[in-house]
Amino acid sequence: MSKKGRILTRRDFIRGTVGATVGASVGATIMGRAVLAAGQGASGQSLVSVVRDQNAMNADHVVNPEVLRPMVDKTLQSTTGKTSTKDAWLSLVTPDDTIGLVPTPHLNPTHREVVDAVKASLIEAGIPESKIVDAQGGPDKPKACTALIGLPALKAHWLTGIGTVLKLYIMYSGAPSAYHDQNNIKLGEIWNLPSVKGKTRLVLVDALHPLCDKGPQVDPRYKWAYNGLIAGTDPVAVETVCLRIIDQKRRLLQGEPWPLTPPPLCVEAADKTYRLGTSDWNKIRVTHHGWEEALLLG
Amino acid sequence: MTNSQVPLPRTVGSWTRPASPQVVNAQNIFDYMNGAGELYLGYGFDHLDVFTYSSPGRESILVEVYFMQTTDDAFGLLSLDWGGEAVELRPSVSLPDQKAPPSRPRALYGEGLVRLCAGRLFARIMAERETPDSRRAVLELGRSVAQGRELTPEPKLLQELPRSLAGGWHLLGSRASFFRSHLVLNSIYYLSSENLLDLGHDIEAVTAVYERTEAASPRRRLRWFGVRYPDRDAALEALGHFHRVYLPEFPFRSDSDSSAPLKGIFPIEDGWLGYWLKNDALTFLFECPDRETIDRIFASQ
Repeated sequence: MSKKGRILTRRDFIRGTVGATVGASVGATIMGRAVLAAGQGASGQSLVSVVRDQNAMNADHVVNPEVLRPMVDKTLQSTTGKTSTKDAWLSLVTPDDTIGLVPTPHLNPTHREVVDAVKASLIEAGIPESKIVDAQGGPDKPKACTALIGLPALKAHWLTGIGTVLKLYIMYSGAPSAYHDQNNIKLGEIWNLPSVKGKTRLVLVDALHPLCDKGPQVDPRYKWAYNGLIAGTDPVAVETVCLRIIDQKRRLLQGEPWPLTPPPLCVEAADKTYRLGTSDWNKIRVTHHGWEEALLLG
Repeated sequence: MTNSQVPLPRTVGSWTRPASPQVVNAQNIFDYMNGAGELYLGYGFDHLDVFTYSSPGRESILVEVYFMQTTDDAFGLLSLDWGGEAVELRPSVSLPDQKAPPSRPRALYGEGLVRLCAGRLFARIMAERETPDSRRAVLELGRSVAQGRELTPEPKLLQELPRSLAGGWHLLGSRASFFRSHLVLNSIYYLSSENLLDLGHDIEAVTAVYERTEAASPRRRLRWFGVRYPDRDAALEALGHFHRVYLPEFPFRSDSDSSAPLKGIFPIEDGWLGYWLKNDALTFLFECPDRETIDRIFASQ
């Protein structure tokens, strides 16, 4: 095997050999570091909750906090199986944790109302406000936290296919532009950094007003009111559900299949190489609550 | 205070801009727009002037004027997406070397966003919320950007795209783009995580989709790539690179001492792939239904 490893091409996707090639290319590139050790590989099915309310935003796309807050509660309860939001949170974090909230900071950012609703919900669950911090930023941010809650906004990305869950921690690398080129396959390795590994307790995606093409720059022609929240404890499964929604929306817009390009290589790598979760639709159980129109999970 | 080179009005409708733009260059473009910056760096990006027009109680209008090295780069950015409503922002259309009006628009509007090219400028002007007032303001600002600028000529390589190919294939105009970067290539048609075609700022490339509809057959499409290199040696080197990575199971036959055209046709997973090297230019055809299609097309070139 060359030092450079195998090079992934379009033909690998057509043949279905992406996983093997990704593993080979990443392994060779990192020259034997232990990132390939088994991590959070899913066994059984990973649960992803989708909660929607047609009135989460008004016609001008202004978020209604009165509608959003019950959506957050329902998302927590559905994801954890608990009957109260307090119990749901306390099954994920403790009052002794320093909890970092990690939103998408700009270019189709996470709605401020989503961050505020999550924070308010945590406080009501008994988490001291001083223990809830903004953890989006450079490498020092996760070091200060014992738990992370990802709050990305759903969007396609012109460089990586999707720029939602796995890309959320890119600033923790200290060298985000290093992941813009073919190294975007390795986004999963950031989740295995010592300061990050094992801390993510929940990923809750802001899918109120997603972007299905040309991200991260906003093009309003490709935004639509999905009015949803998507959540789970398996980040790869959550990303996979997000991908399905974007793919289905693109198909609707174009009137024919309109696959993301480049394909989201980082997702399969996050599954097969970095063992962060599952990208296998057959291993993901999606529960849906609320508004059913244009669910885009078919 | 930094003055923009584009004479944007201080006030448009109820919106007002600050005195000076935010200036973004290649060193801080990632701070401004994260990975989106790679798109503009993939073309000949010089710098960007950013203005945010604000109006009390209303959403703002963002004006981004990208100063590119060449008119081809400005046009290339617009060519990545031909969707939207074609709008004419110039008082009259003229181009000394063309006898007919340009076949492709130079400005496109959709849901509050206008994208345009004028001379070496590419611009995005976007209202946070589309209303009749914001649409008027966005288009007026677009006219200001375009004012006094030459009509951006279409890159020669794009002009040279055949409108039809032997065998009944016709060009889908909405799917023709000009580019230089392998990152941009992959955003249009993913080939590889590596820069297989040795693309760069000194390279010109176009891609297009051709379609054929037959009564007894479903609609078929094939993908065309045309790449022009500085010289034949560079083109041959790029072809060898591509062949070694993309077609490793087929021997690469070339005579670097010969200046004769070089052709290859191969069956792969998604159809037949063909390439044609002539002088300093490479042409690729992807997803062809059979070998004969490629033979006919190349024979007619």
